[in-house]
Amino acid sequence: MKSYFAGLDGGSTYLKAALLKDGQVVGTMARSTGIDNNQSAASLLDELCYQSGISRDDIGYTMATGYSRKILSVADDDISEITAHACGARITAPDGFLPGMIVDIGGQDSKIIYLDRDYNIKNFTMNDKCAAGTGKFMEVIAQLLETTIDQVGPLSLESREPCDINSTCVVFAQSEVISLVARQFDRKDILAGMHLSMAKRIIKMMKKSERNGDILMTGGGAMNIGIRKAFEEELMRPVYVADHPQFNGAIGAALIASERG
Amino acid sequence: MSENGIDERRKLLFRQKSMRVASSYLRRIAALGNLPESVRPFLDVLKQVSVDFQPVSMIAERKTVGTFCLMVPPELVEAAGAVPVRLCSGSYTAYSIGDGIAPRDACPLVKAVLGMEEMGISPLYEDCKLFIIPVTCDCKKKLAGMLGERRPTAILSVPSSKEQDSDTEQFLRELYRLIPVLEQYTGGRVTAGTLAESINRRGYAQYEMSRFFTFRRNVPYLLYGTQAMAIMNALSYMPALEWGECLHRVNEELAGRLAKRQFVARENRPRILITGSPVTFPNIKIPLLIEEMGGMLVADETCLGERSLYDPVVVTDRSLDGMMRAIANRYIRPCTCPSFVENRQRIFRIRQMIKDYQVQGVICHILRGCLVYDYEYQRLEEELEELHIPVIRVESDYNEEDVEQLRIRIEAFIELIKRRDVVRKKSGEKVL
Repeated sequence: MKSYFAGLDGGSTYLKAALLKDGQVVGTMARSTGIDNNQSAASLLDELCYQSGISRDDIGYTMATGYSRKILSVADDDISEITAHACGARITAPDGFLPGMIVDIGGQDSKIIYLDRDYNIKNFTMNDKCAAGTGKFMEVIAQLLETTIDQVGPLSLESREPCDINSTCVVFAQSEVISLVARQFDRKDILAGMHLSMAKRIIKMMKKSERNGDILMTGGGAMNIGIRKAFEEELMRPVYVADHPQFNGAIGAALIASERG
Repeated sequence: MSENGIDERRKLLFRQKSMRVASSYLRRIAALGNLPESVRPFLDVLKQVSVDFQPVSMIAERKTVGTFCLMVPPELVEAAGAVPVRLCSGSYTAYSIGDGIAPRDACPLVKAVLGMEEMGISPLYEDCKLFIIPVTCDCKKKLAGMLGERRPTAILSVPSSKEQDSDTEQFLRELYRLIPVLEQYTGGRVTAGTLAESINRRGYAQYEMSRFFTFRRNVPYLLYGTQAMAIMNALSYMPALEWGECLHRVNEELAGRLAKRQFVARENRPRILITGSPVTFPNIKIPLLIEEMGGMLVADETCLGERSLYDPVVVTDRSLDGMMRAIANRYIRPCTCPSFVENRQRIFRIRQMIKDYQVQGVICHILRGCLVYDYEYQRLEEELEELHIPVIRVESDYNEEDVEQLRIRIEAFIELIKRRDVVRKKSGEKVL
C-alpha cells in the first residue's frame, strides 16, 4: 500500500503540486506555468519527491486540476478546480472554521463555492470574461506602481485614506490608476483602493441568501493580507485564510487522489 | 467589383461559415455514440435547414407559414392548408450579422432571426410568404415590428396574463382574426373538418412523443438526451404527422434496444434537466457539453423541446367554435413561457419532471439578454433547494467563445452531483 498521494494544479499563472501522507500536507512546490505544461508538471513532481525524500513510485495516485488538468500525463485522473478547492478546505481551513463559503482568487478567475457543514458543495459562482477580481489585476497594478505582488498587501495596510477606484474592468482600472499616479496620490492609498475595489467586485457575485457559516479565502490572491482586510471591511465579518492558500487546489486534488488510491 | 458583387460574396462567406459551424455540431451529436439509425431523418432535416440551405424535402412544394414562439397554434395553420415552420434561430453565424442590427442587449435568438432575414439565403425563411409573430417578450415584440416592415406579417397579440377566462377569450378573438388571413394566403378553408384532422395529426405526434419519453426515462439509458433534443428541434421544420411517423420508428428501435438490453450509457451518469431560454440547433452546445462531460440530459423544460408538444388540445365540443376554444385554452393556460405575468406552472412542471425522470440536478440556461427567464431563476432556486436538488445558472451567448467557461461550470456541476451520491451512499441512503 503506497502511502503518498499527489495533487497537481495547473493554473493560469503557476503550476502547483502538493503531497499528502495520512491526510497531512508533507510538501508543496510551485513554479511558473511554462508553455509546456506537461513537461513542467513532470519535473515539478520529481523535484517535490526529491525534496520530500521519496521516489515517484511511492505515490499511490496523482490527481490533476486547473486549466491544464486534461493534458497532464503524469496524473492518473483529473477533477475540476471547484471540487478540488472544496476538498482542499477540509485540510487547510483553520481550527474552528464553520464551513460556509470559499472565496478563491486565482490568476485568471475568481470563484465562490458554497459549502454545507460537511464541506460538500452546495453551489458555486464564477466570474465571467473579466479579470477585475483576479490575481492578474493585482499583478498589473503592482507593476504599474513599481512594486511586486508580495509587497502590495503590506504596503496597502499603511494606507489611511484609500483611493476610490470605480472601473469594473482591468484595462479601465489601469488607466484610472495611471491618472491617480499622475495626480500624485500615495501608492499605499492607491493599493488599498485597489483591494477594496477587488473585494467589492467579488462580493457582488455572492448570493445574499448564502451568508451563513464562515468565509475561507484560498488561491494565490489570499496570500495578500490587504485583500483579506478589504474583504473584512466590506463584509463586516471575519474572513479566514486557508493554510497554504496558493496550494489549496493541489491539496484538494491530492485528498481526492487518496480516496482513489 | 459592383455593389451587387460584394453582396453575393458576403452571402457566400455567410453560407460557408454557417455550414462549417452547423455541420460540426451535427458531427458532435452523432459522435456521442450509439445514434439510433431512425434518428437520422431528424438530423437530415436539421442538415437541410442549417447546413445545405435547401428546402426541407418533406415540405417542399407546400405553402409554409413562418411562426415564432409557441403560441401560434400549428393546428390552425395546418387546417388552412399550410405547414407552420418555427423560425426561432440558433445560428451563431446569423447572430453575428444580426448583432449589427438589433441593440447590443437584445437576445441572441432574435439577433439570429434578424441576421437570417438580412442575408436572405435560407429557403426556409424565404419561402414563407407569411409570418405570424406572437407578441411575447420585449425582444419578440420589436422583432415583430422589424420583420413586419419587410414582409407580410400578422401580429398575434398574446394576453400578458393567463389566469382569467377573459384572457382566454381575448386570445380566442385573436385566433379567429387569424383565420381569414390564413385562408387568404392558402386559398383553403378552416372548417370543423379540417381543424379536427389537424388536431388529430398533432395528437398522433403527441402520442408518439409520450411513448418516446417513457424510453427516455429508462435507466440505464437508451439514447443520449442531446440526440433527443435534436429530434425535438426538428419538429420546428416538419409537419406533425411526418414528425410523428419518424418518431414512431425511433420508438420501435428503442423498444428493440430495451428488449436486447442494449444501453448507451451506464446508470452512474448524473441525470440532468435543462430549463430556461430556448435551446435550438445549432446552438446545442450546452446539451452537448453536459453529455460530453459525463452527465445525461434526461429531460428539458424548454420551448423548442418538450414544451412545444407536451399539452394536448382537449376537445369536448366538436363544433368549430368548440375546437377553437380548446385550442385557445391549450396555447395559453398551461404554457410555461415566462413572458406571462404569473407563471407558477413552470415550477409545477419542473417539480413533476424531477420526479418523473429522477432528475439529480437542474441546469438553468439563460441566454444573454433573456430577462424573463432570469427573473424566474431566484424562485426556481428556492423551490429546488427545498427538494435538495442542486441547480446552477449558466449564461451563454450565440458564439463559441464561452465554451471553456461553460465547460468548467458544467463539469464541476456533474462532479458535485457525483460526490453527493458518494456521500449519500456512505451514509447508508439508497441511491439509484
